[in-house]
Amino acid sequence: MSGTEKAGSGTTKTPADFLKSIRGRPVVVKLNSGVDYRGILACLDGYMNIAMEQTEEYVNGQLKNKYGDAFIRGNNVLYISTSKRTLAEGA
Amino acid sequence: MSTEEESAVKEPLDLIRLSLDERIYVKLRSDRELRGKLHAYDQHLNMILGDVEEIITTVEIDDETYEEIVRTTKRTVPFLFVRGDGVILVSPPLRTA
Repeated sequence: MSGTEKAGSGTTKTPADFLKSIRGRPVVVKLNSGVDYRGILACLDGYMNIAMEQTEEYVNGQLKNKYGDAFIRGNNVLYISTSKRTLAEGA
Repeated sequence: MSTEEESAVKEPLDLIRLSLDERIYVKLRSDRELRGKLHAYDQHLNMILGDVEEIITTVEIDDETYEEIVRTTKRTVPFLFVRGDGVILVSPPLRTA
């Protein structure tokens, strides 16, 4: 096997590698209910529980709440996506 | 978060542990929200909360105008066991303004 691939590069091997690579980055978390949470991914665990910082809650695309830190229980998570936009650019 | 707190949050449940004995906000299924003091929790997010305010949001449709009416109902509960599988989100108090 070749040397360790750079974290976050297109050649990461497994979903778990992707999740490790996005720690500390701005992400969008979509819940089963359709609600979006945008913020900095602090960490996650094997249940896909998520801890986020600077979290913003969007319902139907509208900003509804802000949380300094937020814990999201993993069973609610539909997907986690890295966000190309910086938080300063808003929704 | 401060550097110290950042190093303390190695996994998501650390965020809950750091909230023990603090008032937290909990978002539940069925459009319920709780604010209360976190006394205890486990890995399922079962929680024991004290001095709890519960807010229930309902949407009714006006018979005549077909307008949506958003209504909130509040009640207070001195001591509450919350079953973890209904928990969506937990937010500790803001540590910085």
